[in-house]
Amino acid sequence: MKKILIVDDDASFIETLKATLDPKKFITVSAADGEEGLKRMEESKPDLILLDIKMPKLGGMEFLKRVNEKYGEGKTAVLITSNLSGLEQISEGMELGIRGYFVKSNESLKGITDMIDRVLE
Amino acid sequence: MTTIILLSTLALLSLGLSAFLLLKEHQAKDVVQKREQDISRRMYELAILKELGDRVGYSLDVQQIVDIITSSLHQFIEYAAVSYMLLEPEKVMFKMHLERSVHRRFVVDVRDRMLSSLGALLDREFDKKNVREILSGAIIIEELEEPVRSFFNIPLVIDEKVVGVLTVADTKSGLYKEEEMTILYKIIQQASKAVTSLQGVVKTEQAKVSAMVESMEDGVVMTDADYRILVINPAAKRVIGQEKKAEITIFDFIDNLGGKMDIRGRLEESVKLKKSYMSERFEMKEKFYQSFVFPVKTTSSLNVEEVFGGVVIFHDVTREVELERVRDDFTSMIVHELRTPLSGIQKASELLKKPRKPAGSSPKQYVDMIYQNSSGMLDLVNDILDAAKLQSGKFEISREPADIAEVIANRVSFFNLSATDRKITLAVSVGENVPKAVPFDIQRIKQVLNNLISNALKFTPEGGAVSISAFVHEHGASANTDMRKMKVQLPEPLPEDQFASLPQSLVIAVTDTGMGIKSEQMSQLFSKFKQLDNQSLVPNIKGTGLGLAIAKGIIEGHGGIIGVASKVSAGSTFYFSLPLSPTQT
Repeated sequence: MKKILIVDDDASFIETLKATLDPKKFITVSAADGEEGLKRMEESKPDLILLDIKMPKLGGMEFLKRVNEKYGEGKTAVLITSNLSGLEQISEGMELGIRGYFVKSNESLKGITDMIDRVLE
Repeated sequence: MTTIILLSTLALLSLGLSAFLLLKEHQAKDVVQKREQDISRRMYELAILKELGDRVGYSLDVQQIVDIITSSLHQFIEYAAVSYMLLEPEKVMFKMHLERSVHRRFVVDVRDRMLSSLGALLDREFDKKNVREILSGAIIIEELEEPVRSFFNIPLVIDEKVVGVLTVADTKSGLYKEEEMTILYKIIQQASKAVTSLQGVVKTEQAKVSAMVESMEDGVVMTDADYRILVINPAAKRVIGQEKKAEITIFDFIDNLGGKMDIRGRLEESVKLKKSYMSERFEMKEKFYQSFVFPVKTTSSLNVEEVFGGVVIFHDVTREVELERVRDDFTSMIVHELRTPLSGIQKASELLKKPRKPAGSSPKQYVDMIYQNSSGMLDLVNDILDAAKLQSGKFEISREPADIAEVIANRVSFFNLSATDRKITLAVSVGENVPKAVPFDIQRIKQVLNNLISNALKFTPEGGAVSISAFVHEHGASANTDMRKMKVQLPEPLPEDQFASLPQSLVIAVTDTGMGIKSEQMSQLFSKFKQLDNQSLVPNIKGTGLGLAIAKGIIEGHGGIIGVASKVSAGSTFYFSLPLSPTQT
């Protein structure tokens, strides 16, 4: 069983992704912003974080910096999921040791689960 | 005896008379001769001055003028050699024209004497080696061992400054008396006067041009063909961050521009190939520039076009770059906001299409999701359309008398559910004197209320309170006194100056106990593109931020005001006014 933490303020995304991920293979935990994300992180110790960038209270990049400070850079696999396609965010994420990124509207649920499988292999 | 005396007296008298007459006649002849000489000299003077005038024209080239003078001088002054010395930036130029052949020592002697008088005039030491010599006319003959016996020096003065000396010299002695010298002085003076006054005109024009160049916002640098800087304005110094440095050379530009622009190479192309150049944008000291390089052409007296140097212009495009960035950011923000609901719709449909539905899920759940996401997207598209209408001035308001209390009640019932969900109390208080029929655009005011109430709910933590108050504000009354009557606790008093000039109006205020807004952000809240700047200040606030800009457009369309009073971590009050008797627009 692998634990996945989805930090995203887009409720539809969380709901549809949770419904797609095989409950026999994954435990999914979600948070609607970065602050909540830090709490869930503490509680659940996930194997993978799906992280949105634009969120209220605490944004994705700030969340990532705090996670790196606390748990060490690259200790937890992170996939950035955003509807932004600005290179700036991606390169900033790369510097913070993320495993990959995708634009949510450009990927199907199937494509996303395939990517998750690859990262967790 | 008496006869003899008489005769001899007569003879004496006649002798005396004839002697007197003779003397007189001689004197008269002298006068005439002198006059003739005077006249002929004057004629010469006039002739030479006219010739000078014609040939010099409007030249400012001192050497050219002196050349003309020296070539005309032999008409009325005798000399073996006429020569002049002019100061050049690095050397002294010595040019001698020989009317007759002389010994080499004659030349050297004249040259040395001229150099020492130039030194005396300027109170400077000149190195004999630093003289550039040009000889013309008759040839040097070593057998003619005649020394300099007559020599006359005239300083060349332009605009009260000694620029050189002119000399006539001969092997014969006793030449160059006062008369000839007076003429020479006059000629030199005349030429100097012409050049000085012409230079005066040029100086005034130059002052105008340089004042213009100095005050230009674009950086301007002009160089000669050897890349020496002739003109540079403060803006050009700012480009390379050398505002304070007095003497700027091309190397300051080469060093500071680095690889951003090959100024030397571009100037070379300009000067040698007469090519113009326009650069790509580049960044220097946190500013953006586009540079242009042009050859500077002059047309000489012979109508030949010559490239005299090059000019580099640094055009500051920082503002354009910023605007472009704002537009790009705005576009990417809109794309982001559209992609989010679209992605939701796409994912929900993907699940609906699956033959095997995930356990514990119902199709209705996904249909609801599609409905919600598409509604959200529709709102966004409407906001974008409204913003576009506002920008193009095509935003229309249609007023009809309506009851504001009813409109507020309607909105409150709409938001009540989500307020209760988040344990936020949503209270309304309407002043007793609020008229039942106030002319306003119901749909548009509903839109404003939606925006203000949803924002208040969004930024208020659980257990907080949002209150909506409506009251009549009389012209000149205090808005805070009005508010106190409504019994609403304000996190920050309303800015009275905003209300001071209002006519009798209906005021609606939405007060929350939320996070509040920093004062530096408040002025930007209501402007369309500024939301982006807010994002950099509060990076993770979702939404397009168009809502408040549209609200402002709607309220201003009604002839009212909209604003905010806020205190960080205490809360905010967003208010707007609607004039009770609006002037039709």
